[in-house]
Amino acid sequence: MATSPSPFLDPGTHSAPNSLGILQLRRDHLIPTVLSSSTDSDYVEGKVENTRFGSFPHSTLIGQPWGTQILASVVDTGSRGSKSKKRKRGDTEGDSPSTPGTHETKRDIAKAAIASSGFVHLVPPTPETWTLCLPHRTQVVYTPDYSYILQRLRVRPGDHIIEAGAGSGSFTHAAVRAVFNGYLGEDGMFDSPKNSDRDGTNHILKKKRSRCGRVYSYEFHAPRAKQLRAEIEEHGLSSLVRVINRDVYEDGFCLDSEAGIDSAPDADVIFLDLPAPWLALKHLTRSRPSTAVVKSITTYSNPSTPSAEGSESSPQALPTEKLFRSPLNPNNAVRICTFSPCIEQVTKTVSALRSLGWLEIGMAEILSKRLEVRRERIGLQEEGLRGANASAATVSEAVQRLRDVEGRAKVFHGLQKEKQEEIMRRAETQKRGEKIEPFKEENKGKGKLYKEGRLVHRTEPELKTHTSYLVFAILPRQWTKEDEEKARKKWG
Amino acid sequence: MHSYIRPNSHIALRLPSGIVKIHKIVPNTTINIGKFGTFPANLLLGRPYYLTFELLDKENGRSKTELRIVPASELHAEALGGDHATPAESRDDSASAEGGAEFDIVGDDGEVIMRSNRLTIDDPSRQTLAMEEIEELKKAGAGSGKEIIAKIMASHLGIDEKTSFSLAKYTLRKSKKYLKRFTVLPLDVGLLNEYVLDKEGYKIMDLREESLGLISSWANIHCADASRVLTADDDIGQIGGGRWLVIDDTGGLVVAALAEKMRILYPEEDEEDQTLQEGEDINQDQNGEGDSAEDAKELQQETYQNGTTPPKSDPETKETDPTSPTSTTRIPSNPPPPPCKPPRQHIPQSTAQTNSLTVLHANNQPNLSFLKYFGFDTGNPTTKHPLYHNLKSLSWLQLLYPHEDPSYDEPEVVADDVLATFKSSKRGNYYKKRRRWERTSRIVNETRRGGFDGLIVASAMEPASILKECVPLVKGGGRIVVYSPNVEPLVELCDYYSKDRRAAFVSKQMETNASINRKAVKEVKKEDNEANGIVGEDEDEDFPVNPTLLLAPSLQTARARQWQVLPSRTHPMMTSRGGAEGYLFTATRVLPFEGKVEARGKFRSKKRKTGADSSVQA
Repeated sequence: MATSPSPFLDPGTHSAPNSLGILQLRRDHLIPTVLSSSTDSDYVEGKVENTRFGSFPHSTLIGQPWGTQILASVVDTGSRGSKSKKRKRGDTEGDSPSTPGTHETKRDIAKAAIASSGFVHLVPPTPETWTLCLPHRTQVVYTPDYSYILQRLRVRPGDHIIEAGAGSGSFTHAAVRAVFNGYLGEDGMFDSPKNSDRDGTNHILKKKRSRCGRVYSYEFHAPRAKQLRAEIEEHGLSSLVRVINRDVYEDGFCLDSEAGIDSAPDADVIFLDLPAPWLALKHLTRSRPSTAVVKSITTYSNPSTPSAEGSESSPQALPTEKLFRSPLNPNNAVRICTFSPCIEQVTKTVSALRSLGWLEIGMAEILSKRLEVRRERIGLQEEGLRGANASAATVSEAVQRLRDVEGRAKVFHGLQKEKQEEIMRRAETQKRGEKIEPFKEENKGKGKLYKEGRLVHRTEPELKTHTSYLVFAILPRQWTKEDEEKARKKWG
Repeated sequence: MHSYIRPNSHIALRLPSGIVKIHKIVPNTTINIGKFGTFPANLLLGRPYYLTFELLDKENGRSKTELRIVPASELHAEALGGDHATPAESRDDSASAEGGAEFDIVGDDGEVIMRSNRLTIDDPSRQTLAMEEIEELKKAGAGSGKEIIAKIMASHLGIDEKTSFSLAKYTLRKSKKYLKRFTVLPLDVGLLNEYVLDKEGYKIMDLREESLGLISSWANIHCADASRVLTADDDIGQIGGGRWLVIDDTGGLVVAALAEKMRILYPEEDEEDQTLQEGEDINQDQNGEGDSAEDAKELQQETYQNGTTPPKSDPETKETDPTSPTSTTRIPSNPPPPPCKPPRQHIPQSTAQTNSLTVLHANNQPNLSFLKYFGFDTGNPTTKHPLYHNLKSLSWLQLLYPHEDPSYDEPEVVADDVLATFKSSKRGNYYKKRRRWERTSRIVNETRRGGFDGLIVASAMEPASILKECVPLVKGGGRIVVYSPNVEPLVELCDYYSKDRRAAFVSKQMETNASINRKAVKEVKKEDNEANGIVGEDEDEDFPVNPTLLLAPSLQTARARQWQVLPSRTHPMMTSRGGAEGYLFTATRVLPFEGKVEARGKFRSKKRKTGADSSVQA
């Protein structure tokens, strides 16, 4: 499918047309844009990215080495409509250097003239940059959380990961990077439909050697799923991510085989960012869970449903008509993480996990903070300077000033009345001089404000004190008597 | 890869007390778990990970020691309580084998009355069993320890007065002490991290799992097997391709964590093994397909390696006596790789063009001792291990002043006929030197050309001194990540990249640039980068690093707070590990105006302030 590698995984050396690039304006201000070389735009310069730091025609962004500092161009943003003639002229002349009509701007190669100010940096997309600039549809899983989740879930290249509640796709991108080990079809890895249901519960899907890492992303909200799918496509990741619009509480995670794509997720790792993860857990088992367990999970969690499924037949969510299919990889221990903001969700999830035989259950929350580093300048000489504290730096400095003031007063009183005004004026100017002189001196002599003052650090003003609780658990491989017998025979 | 316990791998056994013991599991040996006794390793081999076993001694009417798998329902019995029906069928079949003293503290609390601790008497004499008696019980080796606990509980005078919560706590405490259980965990990076952190945190710079996660994410670490090999404008240096530069003073933990995410940590043979075993319950032809694909891949790998082997070393492959103690590079791997047998091929080390880690080390040899848990010994690497190809290492001397390092100088070439007259040991030595030189020069040259995808630093050395040398080697858009257990070094580093300093640096650079012959600067990018590193040299004190090379330097930290989740008893853990907090400096390598001289000369400028000057130059 994806012939050219995704810019997320292998961005290449230079930015390329029709591929995602990120304009970094400030640390947390990034603009994602699919670079386009088409001239189909209202602007003379083709597609233009307008930012607070200036306008950037895509022609100035394409073909640049990643990380390049790009200068803003002079783009007439005001009169697009009236300039349609000009645009046409530009089109017909193609790439001919210097359009004659526009005397103020046109340059030879740049097409757009460099503005006198403004720049951005063009950086390749990564899950981190994407997380900072993606279009928010839901609450986003940020880097401190997803990095810990992926680390603790031991997500490795080649794993299959289920993500339910895809949301804005932040975790999706991080997960793709973690499981990626090549594109499907590259080395003939091809998942044919299951061939045997011998014991009906297990080994439905065969595990292949060096299988391709995949992400199965479930989203209940159809427009969001659609948009995510579009983004994934745009990012060249569509062969690695399968976006499914589905209610996983009801319908579970198993997929019908579809044009040679895996028939089931065969998942090693699960990430649930759902309002009620315990309702999805009954689908994430190795064998069909007993009705008692299912009932207990659904009843204690959701008082509105129990009456509906009182009978002994398992809830309609389970594919009763079919053989039970497990969405889990039968040959691996399956790791799960649920992401819930509220503690009540956690207790319900954990009880459900315990009932369903998950082990190594643990819960954690990530407290992360960013620090700002700056130089704090304190001292009387700082008076009137921006970003400094003009109180006395030391006791002796304070004493010195008190002495000065006292001395000045003495002089003042000791002098004749006629001279008082003059003295006062002098004192005033002297005071003013104090304000300015040290600064000037610095500029000439030391002039190194960046070295002055004490280096301090503190937490940044915006602090995320709570994101969500992370529940982790592991479901070991199923181990039957027969397996044990086999192992005993083999190892004696 | 951690689907079942394989022979000769490292495993971790976690005892009820939480203590983790690491063992290398060798078939036909016994494993000792301290006071709880010993058992044959073969009882674990082939079994899946994450199961909890109970040690059943032979005294109890059994002919030999046995392990019982403790089912999840039993492990969770206390927490689940009487809330709902225990799933009958999820209970393992072997569970009923033991029977008898099933211990269940919630068994008799039919009354839901919440007891209070008003009547609790704080007096150790309420436990009527004396220490000697307990010792006696233990010696009797009764069962799995449950009997002991049951007896202890029965002999506690105030057991009925305890609130259910305190009873649960009491039981838990006793279980930790007496239950002969252990859980088998795979020794992966996360567990190793936890294990070392607990015992000797200083060895890994107090690096916690959350920091490891952050490092990997911010460094954009991923498996880059499929990445393209792209060269820079000069057609020599490689740009990107999933190559990361690492400075690791954590004994190899950081390297292991990165390698795990690049799929080069666990030996390939591991997985083959798995298919063999699982072939039984796996679609047969699919299996075959997988194998042939694997073979093809291996073949490809082989030919590729042969292709890159310089012809000079070729004669050696035929002539060297396999038994001679010739080389450190050719290692007798165990088990010996079958295809290598007839021609006894030398496989050059560290040849991977993509998906590689380059480790810079301060000593002669890198200290990556933790990699031994993953089957890789840097002093004696096996060719089967992916790190053999994808891990490269060089010292700071080799990077900065390669000609001062003897292994970088080419040893003289001896003609074949002269060589034939050598004694085998001398000949071996000759080849050893040649190979070492080939490897060193290849790694050094390639590293000095730069173009790395990122730089990861976890070092006790002054960060600025590292970044000064290494940042120019990172490609534009590449990530820089520096870990430090303490915040101060990184605060200082942030200050070196501060806005004010950058502005001062730029204006200073404009001044000097005006006087310098512009031609000298107009060279290929790589050399430009080097120049950038040097520009600051005369102003070392003020500008230890070139502050224009990094974008958005930021400093962060994260800590995971662990919680206890039990019915009506959910709260954060009462205690956790203090010590170093662990901080992370992250930034993006960018190409400022000076660093990039485009032939077409489109964009020349710097910051807003200096924009005017630059456009004049352009």
